[in-house]
Amino acid sequence: MNRRIRWTLAALLALAPLAGLAPAARAQGDDAGPKALALGSVAPMRDAAMKSVDGKPVSIASAAGPKGTLVLFICNHCPWVKAWQSRIAELGNAAARQGVGVIAINSNDPVAYPEDDYDGMVARAKEVGYTFAYVVDATSDVARAFGATHTPEAFLFDARGKLVYHGAVDDNAHDASAVHEHWLADAVSAVAAGKPVATAESKAMGCGIRYRAEKSQ
Amino acid sequence: MLAVLTSTWLAAVLALAAPAATAPPPATPAPPVLRADAKRILSLVQAPGARATVLNVWATWCGPCRAEFPALLAAARRHPGVRLVLVSADFDDQLPAVRRFLAQHGVSQTTYLKAEPDQAFIDGLNPTWSGSLPATFVFDASGKRVAFWEGEADAHRFEAAIEQATRSASSKEVRP
Repeated sequence: MNRRIRWTLAALLALAPLAGLAPAARAQGDDAGPKALALGSVAPMRDAAMKSVDGKPVSIASAAGPKGTLVLFICNHCPWVKAWQSRIAELGNAAARQGVGVIAINSNDPVAYPEDDYDGMVARAKEVGYTFAYVVDATSDVARAFGATHTPEAFLFDARGKLVYHGAVDDNAHDASAVHEHWLADAVSAVAAGKPVATAESKAMGCGIRYRAEKSQ
Repeated sequence: MLAVLTSTWLAAVLALAAPAATAPPPATPAPPVLRADAKRILSLVQAPGARATVLNVWATWCGPCRAEFPALLAAARRHPGVRLVLVSADFDDQLPAVRRFLAQHGVSQTTYLKAEPDQAFIDGLNPTWSGSLPATFVFDASGKRVAFWEGEADAHRFEAAIEQATRSASSKEVRP
């Protein structure tokens, strides 16, 4: 390729965004934060080792069960997590018994939320009765890779490792007796049974995850 | 003069009559807090009469919400004709804390409390919203959303979004 052609191609590439050739952006003015992992995706950073409340390193891969894997982004300080935590413990402990591996990840910066430090996690896991791994995402990179924005937020992968459910625990954080939609429990049961998940996405309010500062490259 | 003396006397009587409190007195009386769903909130932000509308969904338990609140209020107050709609996502039984927080920040206008299930409320306001708090939506005079973001913002971001909304072609003339 001669020099003139190379320069022409370089100029065209540089001008492409101005000509509307850049990838489609979100709606003007909208900045909804990181984009969550799409359904059908595999879990990113599966092999990243994170310190669990028992002091041992656990990764998403090592927590995976034969029938699926539930990745939960939670923390200690958030009232929404507190409202759901006994249901999360019950559901997570039951999922593990059904062959669905469970890992709960705390990606919050404890400088912003001191209650979310490691000692707080150890105490909370004991208090609530989490029998699954509750780990520290020490760089917040796992949350970034998932596009997780708030706690609690669930990502459920099937036996083939594909994301089949993303969203909330159920439709009523405040009152367990008034829940109409048991989204996550139903999805876990479907995955454990090797069946399709009826409702693959749901939403609920939650506390924004305060990511740790990114390390400069 | 009589009115001033009367109001001063009344304030003194009320102050003496008030029970002793451990917390500092609120800056303003607690504003009315009404329950509202997304449909009602959208009708408010799209009602004519404002050069722009800033809608902020917050909660008393949300650290970033509390942190950005003064900057949000200051930005709205600096721009005459800009309507501020505040919606708390607190649970119903936290209403006293909501009122206390608003009063402490000098909010006297009517504010709102989310009154429908999370998913319906979130998608009703903006399907691209993940549900993370705080969430801020900025609309121009025609009710068209010109900005939306999740997470804590600083004064500059609020100012820039309001400027953008008031510069919008449809905000040149405020609908009566």
